[in-house]
Amino acid sequence: MLKSVFRVAFCAAALVSASAASAEVTVYTAGPAALIEKLAAGFTAETGIKVNFFQATTGKVMARIEAEAANPVVDVLISASWDTATDFAKRDWLLPYASPNADKVPDFLKTDTAVAQGVSALAIAWNPSSGTPKPSEWSDLAKPEYKDLVNLPDPAQSGATFELVAALSASQGWALFDSLSANGAIVAGANAEALNPVLQGAKAAVFGAVDYISFNGKAKGENIEVIFPASGTVIAPRPVMILNWSKKQDEAKKFVDYVLSDDGQAIVASQNLMPARADIKAERPLIADLKILPVDAEAVYGKRAETLADFAKIFAK
Amino acid sequence: MARLRGGLNPVTIVAMTGLVFVVVIPFVFIVAQAIFPHLGRGSLAAPFSAMVGALSDPRLIGMTMNTLLLGALVVGLSALIAVPLAVLRGLFRVPLAVLWDVLFLIPFMIPPYIATLGWIMTLQPRGYLTQLFGVDLATFLFSVPGIAFVMSLNTFPVVYFAVSRTIETVGSRYADVGRVFGASPAKAFWRITLPLATPGLVASLLLVFAMAIEEYGTPAALGTRAGFEVLVTAIDLRVSDWPIDLPGAAILSLVLVILSFAAFLLQRWILTRRSYQTTTGKPQAGARRELGRWRYPVIALFALVAFVAAAIPILAILATALSRTISGGLSLANLGLDNFAAILGDTSGALRALGTSLGLGIAAAITTGFLGALSAYTIVKTKVRGRGLLDVLTILPNALPGIVVAVGLILAWNQPWLPITPYNTTLILLLAYCCILLPQPVRYATAAFHQIGDNLEAAARVAGASPLIVFRRIMLPLIMPGMIASMLLVFAVATRELVASIVIAPVGVSTISTYIWRQFEQGSVGQGMAMAFLTILISTAFPLMVLQLMRRRKGSPML
Repeated sequence: MLKSVFRVAFCAAALVSASAASAEVTVYTAGPAALIEKLAAGFTAETGIKVNFFQATTGKVMARIEAEAANPVVDVLISASWDTATDFAKRDWLLPYASPNADKVPDFLKTDTAVAQGVSALAIAWNPSSGTPKPSEWSDLAKPEYKDLVNLPDPAQSGATFELVAALSASQGWALFDSLSANGAIVAGANAEALNPVLQGAKAAVFGAVDYISFNGKAKGENIEVIFPASGTVIAPRPVMILNWSKKQDEAKKFVDYVLSDDGQAIVASQNLMPARADIKAERPLIADLKILPVDAEAVYGKRAETLADFAKIFAK
Repeated sequence: MARLRGGLNPVTIVAMTGLVFVVVIPFVFIVAQAIFPHLGRGSLAAPFSAMVGALSDPRLIGMTMNTLLLGALVVGLSALIAVPLAVLRGLFRVPLAVLWDVLFLIPFMIPPYIATLGWIMTLQPRGYLTQLFGVDLATFLFSVPGIAFVMSLNTFPVVYFAVSRTIETVGSRYADVGRVFGASPAKAFWRITLPLATPGLVASLLLVFAMAIEEYGTPAALGTRAGFEVLVTAIDLRVSDWPIDLPGAAILSLVLVILSFAAFLLQRWILTRRSYQTTTGKPQAGARRELGRWRYPVIALFALVAFVAAAIPILAILATALSRTISGGLSLANLGLDNFAAILGDTSGALRALGTSLGLGIAAAITTGFLGALSAYTIVKTKVRGRGLLDVLTILPNALPGIVVAVGLILAWNQPWLPITPYNTTLILLLAYCCILLPQPVRYATAAFHQIGDNLEAAARVAGASPLIVFRRIMLPLIMPGMIASMLLVFAVATRELVASIVIAPVGVSTISTYIWRQFEQGSVGQGMAMAFLTILISTAFPLMVLQLMRRRKGSPML
């Protein structure tokens, strides 16, 4: 503890030297923390390049980049929302890079300036001891058996949930959400906040839970099942991008190569995310096993505010 | 009253320099961000263009009213819980007094977002209360009174400690004088003791108000279901929802600052209407009355509050930390030390985060205590020109949401032309904590200085003491009890600060709160709660040790 006091004092003295060290790369990333910790350790072991990383939610990472814009320090950005890659490319903030390891990544998971690290999908997370029948479809959760027992993550706080809401409302209108709301379903914060009451049993299911968090809980012994409705769901590819202001572009490219290497993708799979590369195995359903709802990103994000407002109106008390 | 005149005294110079770094720089950048939307990219284009959009939001008035309502409810409920207890504690010989003090310290040491999660897990359907007694109180919890209830349990200790100490300092001497002149005990209390305790009461209520309108975790977790949106939740949404709206967040923060500033003006108006000087250098007999037949009812009252405010949240946290899985519930087979083992085994992450936060907490307490005492002295006891401005500066950060302070600090200290900068070092966290928490020691110290008679200082100056000596040998010792209390408060809040820390922590640095938050975010609620429990233990034990050491050295009761 005293050491920390000294460390704070020491920092004051050593401010200037911080940027001098040579082989290192700064990575800003959305969660999970364990993923970036393992990727950083593996990358440093292989290349000797140190990884300085900052991990928070996609939103907080973006806030930091926005505030730092006058003097940016980030070299590589990993977001949990593909929208970031599109938007940053439009702002001309990204460095085009085609990693040799990206060959095996399907085309819809890469652009000139971004490539997916891994992919998550949305699902129904259901507690089998909740005394409710096992749901198999989104619309099941609007049935009387689930009255007052369903949580939805807030689409304003979770990019993936927003895409699910947009995709479902585009294909079948707002009727499903009207009946969910009428059935007492509530909007409960970001992803983890929506899942927690389901684990304890206060709620029976999450409508649109991020799959890997639930899989990780299940691996730890939580009583939770992850159900992908046959009618389709949305996926959230997690783009890796190199910022064009980076002064460590070679190191940044090596980091992207590592993330897409066999080792890097195995680490991604170990977190119960779907690896971006089609040739890497994982112990969970992969993209090919799921029915993916079409999302026209351009159109969907074009009327994001409108969709969120409609959604909020339906679930307003 | 003869206040000190003359030029700038060294105390004032240090106070002003410190305030420039801790408050003025980040605040100027927040205001600049509100005016110049593209400030982050180093451009001053389109000034004021964001103002119209943010201020014409039709929900703004509703959110502002909700914020005021919540602030008022929390202030009222905190006072309702704390003042009777504090008066009893200050005037009477309450059995087990030290124990109650320690127990009332705990709710304050529980980070609000943790306490809220504990309450949710206790009161929601199939929560711990249902598992033990078959009832749930979810309807109450997820309502506006529920939010105010949970927040008041966290804030009432601020009022309790301030008022009980003030009443103790005021003592029964003045009331005794009243009694000699024929006042009934009740009349002496209402007309003499309580009014004399006004500075402590008003200062602590102001703090509670600012804490309540600035608090993010509880309204965010409980309020969304009640459709209750306050300014802070709206600010957070603007900062975390792409496209990021920093100007909008800055503008809404300024609305919060105005609210807190209005409360501050009210407090100052109350305090300057008359003199509250009771520390005149005359000896005080610190005799407390006996409770007599009220002994057991009073014990029951203290025990009830301690149980609801300290025991229930702590037990909920402990139950979650000891559960192998959340879905396993409260059963013997599901209990184990796995989560604690994971924390203690994680030497690189958890223990380093603990060390970082405790170090920062101590550094923040010392810095703000020092700066707070100097500023308060300048404000109350000198005639320096511009001391009113100083007073305003020390109150400004009071209602600034942590996340906005973080953004202001990044904007200020991440300029490319700066030769050296604290940004991306641990020092930036210290600056953030000092900015957010400086108002606390200043409020306490100002209240304390208001009660010190000017004749003490005048006597010392006549006897040849320099201003520095007077400050160090006379003023500082007299305000020490209040200062220590406020520094412990800073320590407690700094070690658990979440919202600013998430955004501003240097790459690779975790604090206790960001560590716990990451555990929650990944669904490891149990591990997060285990860390929270250890932290509460340490952050409660540490101040108690400090107080114990001081008591032994000085032989005077502080807490």
